[in-house]
Amino acid sequence: MEGVPIRNARRGDIPSLLLLWQAMMKELSDMDARFAPHPRAREHMANELAKWLQDPNRHVVVAEEGGRLLIGFASAVKSPGNGWQIPSQVARITDCYVIGPRRRNGVGRRLAGRLLDVLYEDGIDTVRLSVAAKDPGAHAFWSSMGWDNLEEILEKDVEPS
Amino acid sequence: MAAEYPGSVRAARRGDLQQLVDLRMRFLGETAHEEPRLRLLPDARQRTEQALPVWMGQDDRVLLVAETPAEGDEEHGELVGYAMGFLNVWPPVFQSQHVGEIAECYIAESSRGKGLGGALVKLLTEVLLGRGATVLRAAVPVTNPGARAQLDAAGYAPLQFVMERRLNAL
Ligand SMILES: CC(C)(COP(=O)(O)OP(=O)(O)OC[C@H]1O[C@@H](n2cnc3c(N)ncnc32)[C@H](O)[C@@H]1OP(=O)(O)O)[C@@H](O)C(=O)NCCC(=O)NCCS
Repeated sequence: MEGVPIRNARRGDIPSLLLLWQAMMKELSDMDARFAPHPRAREHMANELAKWLQDPNRHVVVAEEGGRLLIGFASAVKSPGNGWQIPSQVARITDCYVIGPRRRNGVGRRLAGRLLDVLYEDGIDTVRLSVAAKDPGAHAFWSSMGWDNLEEILEKDVEPS
Repeated sequence: MAAEYPGSVRAARRGDLQQLVDLRMRFLGETAHEEPRLRLLPDARQRTEQALPVWMGQDDRVLLVAETPAEGDEEHGELVGYAMGFLNVWPPVFQSQHVGEIAECYIAESSRGKGLGGALVKLLTEVLLGRGATVLRAAVPVTNPGARAQLDAAGYAPLQFVMERRLNAL
């Protein structure tokens, strides 16, 4: 799997990216129902992906097997910091996904590594991401690459049951 | 609503601005002291002075203060804490779109342990629910187990970790 090429996403990838994104959402919501997708999530994301590929602050990279099959993708976006705490510019990895049968072959590491290389070249020195508290595998993945916990996000459901 | 906490917790007013700036700088300073990855930018005070009056006028934001009454002067108590939250309406990605965020909550050290922090969070929660929040969220630095324990006790459960990586070590 070392040889699977990682490249920037392009417009023609949008249908495959949408399938990968939906698969990622399904895994996430199976793990934790609080991440259940909105009924209009797919439609919303189809539009978003098209915008992402034109956004100069956004990077989307894909892992392509055999010159045609996307087996993973990752994305990051740059934004100003909050204005009072460091950093003054921050990037967030918003997505990183590898299809089940291709996991533990270094593809996720290479997708994330490519994003960090590009962000470093952009002058970014701090990158953040959120990982579900109920996803110890994803947490172990990022920890193995030197990521540390900064904050914990806690939630309370107040919707009448 | 503030009457539940006699003279102690209420909505922030324009006249509170200077004390609010000081309290917020103390909050941010303590956070930075505990967590150097959240240390302050040099113009943090100036930015806070500019931001607070704007936030006070925003419909989606809630700014509350805790005060200890000054003897014989109900109008001008000393501010000893504040809380800030807002209603975030997320795009249709997850089912929960109307998220009440508890962004900041601070009680000066000498006034801790009297229930004022809890009273601020309770009132903030009521206001956010009244504005349509269906879930409440709060981010706590991993270096602040006290705040974490308080939210635990208030029925909050872990949702996500925010992780960070510095790139100068690539
Ligand atoms: C997280 C994910 C992207 C990892 O992709 P991957 O290609 O399997 O990861 P890699 O093979 O590059 O793993 C690199 C290292 O991370 C760690 N790691 C990865 N997955 C792990 C797991 N499930 N449990 C423990 N450690 C793990 C290991 O140290 C691994 O090295 P090793 O295989 O030599 O032991 C993939 O599991 C995935 O798509 N999961 C579902 C979506 C998700 O949770 N994304 C993250 C959202 S923040």
